[in-house]
Amino acid sequence: MSASKAARVGEEIWKGRVDKVNAELVVLTYGTIVAQLCKDFDSDYVQVNKQLDKMGYNIGLRLIEDYLAKSNTMRRCSNFRETADMLAKVGFKIFLNITPTVTNWTSDNKQFSLVFEENPLADFVELPDDGRAQDELWYSNIFCGVLRGALEMVQMQVEAHFISDVLRGNDTTEMRVSLIRYIDDELPPEDD
Amino acid sequence: MPVQVYSLYIFDRHTECIYSKQWVQPATPASSTLPSTVTDQHRQTNGTELAATAAEQLPPKPRRNKGADDAKLIFGTVFSLRNMVRKLGGDDDAFISFRTAQYKLHYYETPTNLRFALLTEPGALSMRNVLHQIYINLWVEYVVKNPLSPVEHKGGEGVRNEMFELGLDKFIRGLM
Repeated sequence: MSASKAARVGEEIWKGRVDKVNAELVVLTYGTIVAQLCKDFDSDYVQVNKQLDKMGYNIGLRLIEDYLAKSNTMRRCSNFRETADMLAKVGFKIFLNITPTVTNWTSDNKQFSLVFEENPLADFVELPDDGRAQDELWYSNIFCGVLRGALEMVQMQVEAHFISDVLRGNDTTEMRVSLIRYIDDELPPEDD
Repeated sequence: MPVQVYSLYIFDRHTECIYSKQWVQPATPASSTLPSTVTDQHRQTNGTELAATAAEQLPPKPRRNKGADDAKLIFGTVFSLRNMVRKLGGDDDAFISFRTAQYKLHYYETPTNLRFALLTEPGALSMRNVLHQIYINLWVEYVVKNPLSPVEHKGGEGVRNEMFELGLDKFIRGLM
C-alpha cells in the first residue's frame, strides 16, 4: 500500500470505526502510571524505562490483533518501508490520532526514525526537577514496547528506543526503530 | 443460502490446536464405518472371544484421540498446502479451500499466524468472509480483549469463554 493510501485508510478508520476516549483522561492516566513507577523504583529511571517498555510490549502483543481487525488487513506488508508507513499512518492514527513522520532511513532499509510532532502522552508534562530525569527518563518509552510487541506478533523482531524528547529540552521527539530479523514460521512438532 | 457447517478448528502460531467445535456430522461419516470393519476383521481372524474384548476396547480409544488426531491431520494438511501455494504463486498468494466428495475445508490465516479451518458441506460457497468475521468480531472482541484470557493460549486456555462460545454458536447456526 502506498504512503498516501495508508494515510487515507488511517483517516477513514479513525473517523468511522474507533471508540474514542477523552484525550486528557489518557494524559492523566499515563502520567499517573509514570509517576507511580518513579516512586516505586525510587527514581531509578533506567528501571522505569524498562518497566514502561515491558508494559508496552504486553499491550502490543494484543493491540496488533485489534489493529488487524480494525484496518481489515488481509496480507503482510511486502517490505519494511511499507511496515513503517502503515505503522505511522494507520497504527498511530487509529489508536492515538497522530501521524509521526517516518524519516532518516538507513541505506539498507532496516532502520528508520519516527518523529513525533505531537505526543498525546506528553501534554502538560514536566519531568522531575532532580537533575537526572532530564538525562535518564524516556517519558514515552511505552511506545517502544508497543511497537516491539506488535511487530513481533507479525513476525518481525525489532528494536526501538528514543533518541530525543522535547520534554528533555531537545528540538524534536524522535524514536529509532531497527529491524533485527524476520521470524520464521513455527513448524508443527515431528510426529512419531 | 443455508449451508451445513460441520466443524471449526483454530490453530495458534505455535501450531497448536487451541479450539475446535463440531456442529453437524457429515452425512455419511467415513470414520464411523472404519472402526466396525476393523473389528469385523478381528472377528474373522482371531475368533469371537478376542473380537468381543477388541470391540469393548477399540471403539473408546479412537474416539478419545480422534479429535486431537483430526486436528493434527488438518493442521498438517493446511500448513503444507499453504506453503505449496506460496511457493507456486508467490508470497502474496493465499490458500483458500479444498474440497472432497464429503466436505469442503475453508482456510483463513491472519498476519499474526492465527489459522482458522472450517469444514462444511462440499457445495458451500466461499466461507473466507465468514472466517474473517469470526476473527474480527469474536476472536478479537472476546478472546484478545478479554483481560482474563492470557496472550498465549496454551492448551486452549482462555478461548472457551462464554461470550466467545455463545457468539460463535449463534453466528454459525445463523448460516445453517
